[in-house]
Amino acid sequence: MLGTLLRRRGRTFTNTIRHWTPYEWVRNAAFGSAGFGLLFGLHYGFYRLLKYLATVELIGLLLTWKLTAMLLLMTLSMVVVSSLLTALTTLFYSYDLKFLMKAPVSLRAVFLDKSLESAFFASWMIGLILIPYVAAIMRVQHLGPGYFAAFLFALPPFLLLAASFGIGFTLLLLYLFPSSRTRDVVWVFSSLSLTVTYGLVRFAQPEKLIRPDALKVVAEYLSFLQAPTAPYLPSWWLAEALRMAAEGAWRGYAVRAIGLWAAAFAVYGLLVALAGKVYFIGYSGAQEGALRKRTHAFAALPEGALLGARSAAALFWKERTTFFRDVKHWSQILLIIGLVFVYLFSIQRLPLDSAELKSLVSFLNVGTAGFVLAALGLRFTFPAISLEGKSWWVLRSAPIDVGLIMREKLLFSAVPILTIAATLALMTNWILAADRFTSWLSFGALLTVGAAICVMGVGFGALFPNFSVENIHQIESSVGGFVYMAACLFYVGFTIAVLAAPMQMHFAERFGTGVWDPRVALWSGAGWLVLNAVAMIVPWRLGRRALENHE
Amino acid sequence: MIKLEGLGKTFGSYAAVTDLNLEVRPGEIFGFLGPNGAGKTTTVKMMTGLLKPTTGRVLVGGRDMTLDPIAAKLAMGLVPDEPFVYPKLTGAEYLRFVGELYGVRLEDMRKRVPELLDMFELTPWGGELLESYSHGMRQKLVLAGILLHEPKILVLDEPMVGLDPKSGRLVKDIFLKLAERGTAIFMCTHVLEIAEKLCHRIGIMIGGKMIACGTLSELHAQSKKEGKDLESIFLSLTGGAEYATLLKHL
Repeated sequence: MLGTLLRRRGRTFTNTIRHWTPYEWVRNAAFGSAGFGLLFGLHYGFYRLLKYLATVELIGLLLTWKLTAMLLLMTLSMVVVSSLLTALTTLFYSYDLKFLMKAPVSLRAVFLDKSLESAFFASWMIGLILIPYVAAIMRVQHLGPGYFAAFLFALPPFLLLAASFGIGFTLLLLYLFPSSRTRDVVWVFSSLSLTVTYGLVRFAQPEKLIRPDALKVVAEYLSFLQAPTAPYLPSWWLAEALRMAAEGAWRGYAVRAIGLWAAAFAVYGLLVALAGKVYFIGYSGAQEGALRKRTHAFAALPEGALLGARSAAALFWKERTTFFRDVKHWSQILLIIGLVFVYLFSIQRLPLDSAELKSLVSFLNVGTAGFVLAALGLRFTFPAISLEGKSWWVLRSAPIDVGLIMREKLLFSAVPILTIAATLALMTNWILAADRFTSWLSFGALLTVGAAICVMGVGFGALFPNFSVENIHQIESSVGGFVYMAACLFYVGFTIAVLAAPMQMHFAERFGTGVWDPRVALWSGAGWLVLNAVAMIVPWRLGRRALENHE
Repeated sequence: MIKLEGLGKTFGSYAAVTDLNLEVRPGEIFGFLGPNGAGKTTTVKMMTGLLKPTTGRVLVGGRDMTLDPIAAKLAMGLVPDEPFVYPKLTGAEYLRFVGELYGVRLEDMRKRVPELLDMFELTPWGGELLESYSHGMRQKLVLAGILLHEPKILVLDEPMVGLDPKSGRLVKDIFLKLAERGTAIFMCTHVLEIAEKLCHRIGIMIGGKMIACGTLSELHAQSKKEGKDLESIFLSLTGGAEYATLLKHL
């Protein structure tokens, strides 16, 4: 029976591709190429880093494998958190569950089908990022295609094991507390676990890789490098398997790879056995809605004073009301606050000795904080249009312009993202005591980056709308989400490149090795304006046109 | 009031609707019938601005839906085939939201929303989130939403689906009253009895083309069938009369 269920997925996939129009082929090919470009860029970055590590005498390889273990630990924690977020909607609220539950299909088969779907959505994008990293290891260490095959063989059980945590947790929680309040507990728990895993990664002290002086003696540093990174977790087993395959110790590799598969089968076997007993109770409870009466006073909307037009105010009011009533968003707000604190804490812990170095980091903060803002944009701004879901007809048949809907989505997401951008810029500059020029430049640049990320988020969200997804992760991990993220990363990279020239002149002036060249400053400013104009206008216009013609 | 001129829609090489010409006058209830996949919902979507026509145009009170969509939509109310509404809004809030989008005055909303909730027996549920509403309750709420802004044209795609008998009767009476007041109503339905009792004129669509249009007696004349009820006429015109041959597969 599971075979039938899985075949329908294969058939759905091939049918979707077979029915692409020529426009869709061209569009997907173009954006797919952009995605490959991003992966190649990542590969190049990893390659440079690993090549540098390999040149470190004596401990080069130790550094490489320690970094690999940390990266895999981070991957594991990200998939765990992601699975917590996807498992609830996929296992208990999928559209096709009503059909599957009344069909003569065993509960365990339905559970397997849905849990594999959940594991796939929770892990495919994170798993994809590992490919350029492993390819970089292969290039640096001159390993053949057999090594890549070994990696591909060991990767699925690793991702499955990571995802099984969220799936098992959700399964048990809905069984033990089959009320609608359970959903709230899941989301709060997932936010807490993200904070914990984030903290764990932080406590792994990755900075010690590049700062041997942080440890008192060489022996201590070496023992840190040689010590397993979370030895009881599958990330370490995979890291060891990859190391052994690289060293040609195939027997050791096989033990670990087969161990990963055995553990995945054991954990999934346990979950499937458990599902036969508890899945239906959780599913039944999930169908019950919470009743809580709310009274609506027909008072003037507070947004009206700011937004003027009644329809604009109503759209904003609807957006904030539905947003804050969804408990998933509360936990995400908590996570963001945690993220900002950890980010600023990490800045404060940076070992920077000179005022110039601090100013330089303050400028480079535009890039790192830009990546943080892009991740937030992917989570909140990009899905905003698609999250209208099957209620889209309400807005589309109403006497309002598509542009107004997009502007309201932009406004709703710009307020928090610009606040975070300003906080990260101002606090970082204050912590680092950056000089006035750098402070103003990075502050202005980060605010613009925040604005562009929001505009691109709404634009790309309108360009790739999907009103029939079941959970937000399907939107994030869609082709459109990937393209949006790639566009944001390129944009942030170009921003740093364009603004590097005035920073360079500023430092040259400080060190007395050069003077300001107004022509360079003018070119840089013009380049920055063009970059932002392209980033803001092109996706917005394309998105608006696509949304107007959406069928 | 609403006019379709040479309306057509193709998806790739598939023609869902071909050269549809139709006019629904003020005070008229027009029934739109056809087998599954005939192109009825596609027509509704083009009429309400949810889909762009490939050919032709839709005029709503003289306004072109493609060229002046906001003015055209302002005069129109839609009940879609599936009444999806925002799960995290309450019934009263949904009506408020719709009222704001269509520019209903706040004082009118204060008065009309409780009346409409009461009329559809939704008052006890008005403060509950829509995620706890049944299909029929959502259908009634969507109907309440279009009555709130009093459109001159109603476009209804299977408006009776999910309604209990009492609500069904209420909705039929509402449509008749609105038509008496001059509202033009375009209604897709599979319930032939409703079309027969409510509609002034009926159009039958098959394979994306309107194959018959007129009053019941005009359709009867077109169908060349002895039976006078709409079911016989419909089956005759759509080829469904040979359904006995289909039963052999049972």
